[in-house]
Parts: sequence; structure tokens; C-alpha cells
Amino acid sequence: MNEKKINRRDFIKLAAVGVTVLAGSQFLRQPAGASEPAPTGGHKWAMVIDQTKCTGCGYCTLACRAHNDISPDISWNVVTKTGQVGSQDVFIARPCMQCAHAPCVDVCPVRASTTRPDGIVMMNYDRCIGCRYCEVACPYGARSFNWKAFDGPNPAVPDWGQPEIARRPRGVVEKCSFCFQRIDHGMALGLTPGVDEDATPACVVICPVGARQFGDISDPDSNVSKLLRSRSSYRLREELGTSPRVFYLPATEVSQS
Amino acid sequence: MKTKLSLPKIRFPKITPLKITPWLVWVGVLSIFLAAGATCGVLVLWKGLSLTNLNDLVPWGLWITIDLSSIAVSAGAFSLCAVVYLLKLKRFAPVARTATFIGLIGYTMAILTLLLDIGRPDRFWHSMVYWNEHSMLWEVTMCVTLYLGVLLLETLPIFASFEWLRSRWPKLAWRMSQVHQLAPYLAIAGLALSMLHQSSLGALYGVLKARPLWYRPDISVLFINSAIASGMSLTVFASMLSARLTRRARVDDHLLDRVSQIIGWILVLYLYLRFWDVWAMNYTYQPGQTEGLHLLTGGPLSFNFWVGEILLGIVVPMFLLLNKRTRSLPLWRMLALLFVVGGVVAYRWDTNISGLMVVLSYLPGEPNITYASYHPSLIEFLAGAGIISYGLLAFSLGVRYLKVVNHNSTVIQVLQPESERMEQLPVPAGD
Repeated sequence: MNEKKINRRDFIKLAAVGVTVLAGSQFLRQPAGASEPAPTGGHKWAMVIDQTKCTGCGYCTLACRAHNDISPDISWNVVTKTGQVGSQDVFIARPCMQCAHAPCVDVCPVRASTTRPDGIVMMNYDRCIGCRYCEVACPYGARSFNWKAFDGPNPAVPDWGQPEIARRPRGVVEKCSFCFQRIDHGMALGLTPGVDEDATPACVVICPVGARQFGDISDPDSNVSKLLRSRSSYRLREELGTSPRVFYLPATEVSQS
Repeated sequence: MKTKLSLPKIRFPKITPLKITPWLVWVGVLSIFLAAGATCGVLVLWKGLSLTNLNDLVPWGLWITIDLSSIAVSAGAFSLCAVVYLLKLKRFAPVARTATFIGLIGYTMAILTLLLDIGRPDRFWHSMVYWNEHSMLWEVTMCVTLYLGVLLLETLPIFASFEWLRSRWPKLAWRMSQVHQLAPYLAIAGLALSMLHQSSLGALYGVLKARPLWYRPDISVLFINSAIASGMSLTVFASMLSARLTRRARVDDHLLDRVSQIIGWILVLYLYLRFWDVWAMNYTYQPGQTEGLHLLTGGPLSFNFWVGEILLGIVVPMFLLLNKRTRSLPLWRMLALLFVVGGVVAYRWDTNISGLMVVLSYLPGEPNITYASYHPSLIEFLAGAGIISYGLLAFSLGVRYLKVVNHNSTVIQVLQPESERMEQLPVPAGD
């Protein structure tokens, strides 16, 4: 007990220096949403939804439920009627926007939500603790919590497709992932997402009127890049700066009556 | 097969007829609520959160409010410890002792509530392992966990004064009591950790761009300010109430009077900040934010806001505590302190629910607002009541057996056992 003790003043000094250094190192970091690692292969996946073509049939929602084995209580892809243009009803389909600056990735306390190099906002269902902060933070309502366990058969299977990923347990948040499993599997087979059906999200493949296009937005020659150059487009809640990778081609200049 | 069973003779203790005392009734009532709450807790863990009335639009509700409130009312611990050990106002040490004990109870209440509220309580440790330093919630979780450790160390000397422990394991009791020598360092750690998470519990809401009502920088400042006011208030209120109800609690009214006056001034600052916070939102139409503000000022939350938060929560106790005459009347002072605590709970509830009730549509064109609603289910109420009963019971036991409200002697002297004294003779003086 007689060895030299650090006196109180020194301790406070040391603590202050320590805290300052720690805090400083945090400020030097880039925000989690902005710090994407160098792209591998440089792909950035994007979806273009043409509201002049969409008839609101909802096949996309059902195909999505089957391929991703989603409970009937949950929709990763919601189709809403937004108004009329002339005598035509106008609809909007809302998958996950796969934001470049995703608020859900920033707020997740356990890094269960992360941004892949190809821009897909991924969920790690084995890590999610179910705090629902991401759900509160998402400006698009694109996230759903598993309030109940989804047991029993999936009513969308087999009519709308076969499950390709594991069912999520009760107590975690889930959302659309641009069918990353189809992209990854297809690319491993040498297919091109957006061109070959087996490498393209299920909602794009099922659409009976071809209202959805999918592709690599970093490739100027891809279908989506060409489409976005030739038509005027908009994204949802752009003012928030989330930079969604889902683009809409409006039915007319005014998409809402 | 027949074997002879010789029953061991059991000596039954003499049953003395149980005398029903107010203490027994109090403990009995709390135990009933505790048992009901525990049952509901088990049900929720077993059946899941579908038993609650929470939904995807209002995913945080009553339990988050209890969680935020129990952390807020625990803020007396860090603020009074800072007053005693950093501002060196040693005379407040007995009040800080009560506050620290309340803090330990409050933080365990918060952790219990959180465990119920998250979808996967089995993964509660994930935030310790998988860090996302960018997340306010990660920061809060880390700080709360570390601060719980600080509170445990700070309360060790209190537990050392437990008579049963002192007679059973005197060495252990003495060692535990010696932890009080670390008090100044623990006060620094507690101050740093609390300054971080008490405010970032507000910032947790304040950083969300998707929610225009929450998206403002001063929520964090309001949260820590209101937490300090309510934490000190609960400490003084609980001390005074204990002293009125039992002879085991003794207070120095001069000290409590001084702390109450300080609370009055903190309320002045709180009212000032809150005024500009609301006034700034009132200036121009901001989709989502204006609707949220109207929920508070004229909608379903208006009683909570005007009466609970502002009038009874800030203005009335501010006058009662700053006015020397009303402050020195125990009943008025206690009422004022209780109002402060109630007002801060109302503020936490309103903050959470007002931001969630306003749903700003993502659809293009004119901003489209819809309203979500939420009324807690019976299970949520009962589980919440169980957690609050746990807190009350723990404090009552503390008053009775640990003398957590005792202003007569600073710390109960835990004597160093003879054997220990032989081992290390030169005991450093001081502290």
C-alpha cells in the first residue's frame, strides 16, 4: 500500500488525455454508411421501376414471398396505388432502396446491417438482436420485425417460386436484399444480373409487363444506365441524401393527382 | 419390497403468529406485482413480442419509456458523486450514497426492461463483441454496461454494511468497504460515462433524419438536463419519504434542502432550453415535425405535455423549490420533487411516442402524413409494473437492511478484522 500512488490531479489529467484521444480517433473515422470498401469488380446494382407500365398486379410481392420465404404478414416489396393519370391508375412498388448512405447501417448497434461492396444493404440474421432501431431509422418503412415465428407452409410456395434462403427466426428484423442469393449464384455461373433471369431478382423476373429493370449502374452500357439516360427518373425522398439505388420512371410529369 | 423407512426427526421451528405490519403489507403487495410481472416476462420470452401491442409503425413503446425513465431517474448517482468527490463538497456524501444505491437499482431495471424488449435476448452480448461505433445505441449499451460496473463498485461499501454479512464474513465485508477509497476515481468514470450515455439516449432519437420531429440537436441536451433534475429529485424524495416512514432512515434536512434548491435552478435551465426547443419548431411548417408538435401542443398528448411535462413537471416545482418558504415545508418539497420525476417520465414517453405516431409517407409528391396509434397491452403493463415493483422492493430492503438513507454517520464503520490488521500494519491514513 506504500508504493507510489498516482495522485488525483494526475489521474484526471491522464483520463482527460485518454478520452480526448479516443474521441478524436472516432471523429477521424468515416461514417459507417460512407465507408464502403473498394468495389470488387466495380458492380453497383440498381433497379429501375417504370410506373407507366406497372399495373399494380402485385405478382412481384408474391414472387418475393416465395423466393425469400417470407411470412404472409410481411412484405419486402409493397405495391401502393398513388393516383391516376388520365384513366390509368398509377402504382408504386417499394422494395428496399439499398441506399448508398443507409441510415439503418449507421444505427445498427451490432453491425447486423452492412453495405456490400456492390451496394446491397445486407442483413446478418444470425447477429441481429431485434432492437428495431433500424426499423425506426428507415425513411421508407422497408424493414419488418418478426413479431411471431413463421411456422408452417408458405402459401406463396410453390405457385410463385421456391425458397432460396433460410427462413428468419422470430425476433429479428428483415428486409429485401435485391435477391442477393440469385445475383451471387448467377454470377458464379457466369451469368449477368439483369440480363439472365437466373441471376436477376425474382420481382424483376416475374413482372408480366416488364416494368422492372435491373442491372449494374456503374456500367454505362448496362440496360439500367441506358434507361436512366433516355428517360427522366426520380428517387424516393431524395432530400434526405440517402442516395437510393431504386429509380422510378414517372407515369407522367405529375405522378400523383 | 418393504424397507423400513425411519423418518428423520424434523424439528419444526416454533411458529410465532405473524404480526401484520405496514412493512409486511408493503412487501406483500410489491411481491404480488413482482410475481405477476415475472410471469408476464416469462410469457414474453416464451411466446415473443407478439404479446405486446407494438407493431412495425410503433416498434418502441411502454418498455422503452420505462427503460429511458429508470436511467434518467438514476442520474442522481453520477451527479451527486461528482458533487462530493470532484467539487469536494464532502458534506453531501450521505445523499450521494442514497443516490448511488438508487442508481444501481435504476440501471438494473433498465437492463431487465431491455432484455424483455429486444427480439433476441439471448444475443444481448452481441453489442459487446460486434462493435458499431457509429451507432448511438451501441454507445449507450457500452456505457450502460460499463457504468453498471462502476455502480457495483460504488455500492460495494454499502453492501458491506449489511449486518449479516459483517458477522458472517467480516474479512469480506471489510475488503468490500475498502472500495470506498476508489470513490473519487469511480466518480470520474461515472461522470464521463453518464455524460456520454444520458445525453446520447436523447441523441439516439435526435440523429434520425427519417423522423423530422426527432431530428434536432438539442434533444440530447434536454435529456441529460432533465435526467439530472429527476435523478436528484428522486434521491431527495426517496430519502425524505423513508425518513417519515421508518426510524431506520435518518436524514439531515439541511442537506436535502440545499440539494432541492439546486434542483430548482436546474429546472430553470431545463425550462429555458425546452422553451427554445419548442419555439424553434413552431416557426415554419416542416412536414412531419409540425404534425408531431401539434400532437403535443393540441393533440392527444397535449395533457401530458402542458400539464405533465411543463406545468407540473417544471414550472410548479421550480417555484416550490426556489421559494424558501415552500421548500422548507416537507410536504410541499416532496410534492415538488415527485412532480419533477413525473414530468421527466412524461417527457420520455412523449418524446418516444410523438415521433413514432407521425408517419411521414415515402410516396412522391406532397408530403403525406398518417397517424399510427399505440396502447400498451395488459402484458406490457404488468411486466412494467413488475419491474417498477422490483425497484421499489430493492430500495425498501436497502433502507431497512443496508441503511441507505442514513445521514447521521457518513458510512457505517466496517471494522477491520484482527487477522487482517496483523498482515498489513501500516494502514494508510486519510479518506
